[in-house]
Amino acid sequence: MMMLKTYYCFFLFICLLLGSCSSNKLSTYRKSRALMDTFVTVTVVADSQEAADKAIEWAFEVIGKYGNLINFFSDTSELSAINRSAGIHEVRVSPETLDTIDRAVFVSEKSGGAFDPTIGPEIKLWDFIKKVKPSDLEIRSNLPLVNYKNIVIDKGKSTVFLKKKNMLLDLGGIAKGYAADLAVQALKQKGIASGLVAIAGDIKAFGLKPDNKPWVVGIKNPRQKSSDDEIIAKVSLSDKAISTSGDYERYFIMDGQRFHHLLVPATGQPANSCQSVSVIADKGVMTDGFDNAIFILGPEKGLELAREMGLDAMIIDAEGTIHTTPGLQGKLIIERNH
Amino acid sequence: MKETIRNTTLADRLLFLFLVSLSVAGIFLARDALSQGSDVIIEVDGKPAYTLPLNVSRLLSVDGPYGPTVVEIEGGKVRVKETHCRNQICVREGWVSRGVIVCLPNKLVIMVGGGNKRQEQGIDAITG
Amino acid sequence: MQLQDKHRIAILSAYALALHGFESLLPTPIPWLKLGLANIITLVALVLYGFRTALMVTLIRVVLASIFIGTFLGPAFILSTGGGLASVVAMGLSIKYFNKVFGTVGLSLIGALFHNIAQLSLAYYFFIQRIEAVLIISPVILLIGSLTGIVNGIISDILIKNLLKKDTGKLQNVLHKIT
Repeated sequence: MMMLKTYYCFFLFICLLLGSCSSNKLSTYRKSRALMDTFVTVTVVADSQEAADKAIEWAFEVIGKYGNLINFFSDTSELSAINRSAGIHEVRVSPETLDTIDRAVFVSEKSGGAFDPTIGPEIKLWDFIKKVKPSDLEIRSNLPLVNYKNIVIDKGKSTVFLKKKNMLLDLGGIAKGYAADLAVQALKQKGIASGLVAIAGDIKAFGLKPDNKPWVVGIKNPRQKSSDDEIIAKVSLSDKAISTSGDYERYFIMDGQRFHHLLVPATGQPANSCQSVSVIADKGVMTDGFDNAIFILGPEKGLELAREMGLDAMIIDAEGTIHTTPGLQGKLIIERNH
Repeated sequence: MKETIRNTTLADRLLFLFLVSLSVAGIFLARDALSQGSDVIIEVDGKPAYTLPLNVSRLLSVDGPYGPTVVEIEGGKVRVKETHCRNQICVREGWVSRGVIVCLPNKLVIMVGGGNKRQEQGIDAITG
Repeated sequence: MQLQDKHRIAILSAYALALHGFESLLPTPIPWLKLGLANIITLVALVLYGFRTALMVTLIRVVLASIFIGTFLGPAFILSTGGGLASVVAMGLSIKYFNKVFGTVGLSLIGALFHNIAQLSLAYYFFIQRIEAVLIISPVILLIGSLTGIVNGIISDILIKNLLKKDTGKLQNVLHKIT
């Protein structure tokens, strides 16, 4: 009898040991969804699938709602309401929309207009899928509509007004970063201490992975030739955001020349001094706005702006040479063949 | 031999039980770790609709607001064979052996394996 | 060392080598299935003649076997030596400090366990740098080791009893309880 009891207790003990090994262990959970007209992936560190799901679904909800506010292509978005009322009257908007536009104006000011959210009329002239390039005349005639100084923000009334008729505000260059910030906030609200939100290439990471190491983000090779060639550099992020602007995202090649979607606000033509720019900062709204600005400005002026704004940046110029801010030295791992 | 078995001490038997249970548990854990092989996961409107192995050739039609999307798996690759949406961006992607194909109007997301290589490189996300 | 001891070691080593050689001739569909028959000799030597003898037998067996097969100082040699040493030391320590706790079968299990642990660790450290690969095959190896450990233990036990029957004078030298 003693024997049997001992065996039984031992057996229970083993089961207990093995059972307790799996639960209460921190794991990484990841989910993806199509939102904001792009591919969004949210990764969290949690101690159960349920906790992870709750947080991730909440983050998706927040991103979805925000996306609906600033969707350029949707008639029901607040952004479209502002655009429809350009030159007519101001429009009352939600705090997030107001804040996004305010930040966009901030980036425009600091970059001397290299980033300009009123570039809408120019972007509309191009079709990167059907390979439609506007004539120089068309481009020039829309330039007067491009000027961020014509955005009037009334914080007291929470309204936005575009001074000239036919002006079009396009927040595509900054909204994803803003959304990433919102999503991270949402995750933290649900008790998540560590995670990574990726809205297409606009990423924000916070906390450390279960192995206590920071999140690692790969930067795409702008001239990728094969599947082995996808990543040009890796960077570790602790509580930082990263965004990238590249000439390979929306483009077409005609007569040997590349035409892409990063237009210089002053001329309406695609900027040609860089292949891609990646910016690292504390907030996604900063990285998303400034990566565009630095791309337009080119390596020299771009690095200057980065230094001024206290951002880190990695610029791959038109020849493929990599320039970085001093802060990235030691944190960036550039892959072998570059 | 029977005598020997009867002569085994309590410690002997416990040790045996312990080692066997430990290794069996370990085998199951290892099996889980390995089974993250290559699958094609098709999500419609954010919910996983189909999970298919990448190594079985087949055609699959997925319904969506803009009509059916025909997904083709062959030779370890996936592609969207046809859709009725306007821009046909997803069809234009062509064959994909890892990564994502998205058909936004149809709220269709096709994800292929891919996690493995990225994990090998130690990368959690890609910007750019 | 007395001449008698030297003779004993020589004969035991010979048996161990023979078993090792015999085992290597067996067809193995499964690469990691090592019966470890030579460990029977090690265990018997340990129980009847003491740690020193068992250690010598193990070392001689491992070195000579690798010389004969041609893998001396190669990776297989490192793994064999490591495994063999770990095994005999673990068993020796168990007898010394846990004298009446484990029976022959238990000792054999301990020997097999530490043999496998040592081999897996050495393999990881020197040859297979990928910890995932090692972690994935270790449960299988431990399981097989446990099973062969039992079988070897039973055979060792039978051998020990038979040898003792033949020479009752040895009862005093037996270092642990087997009846």
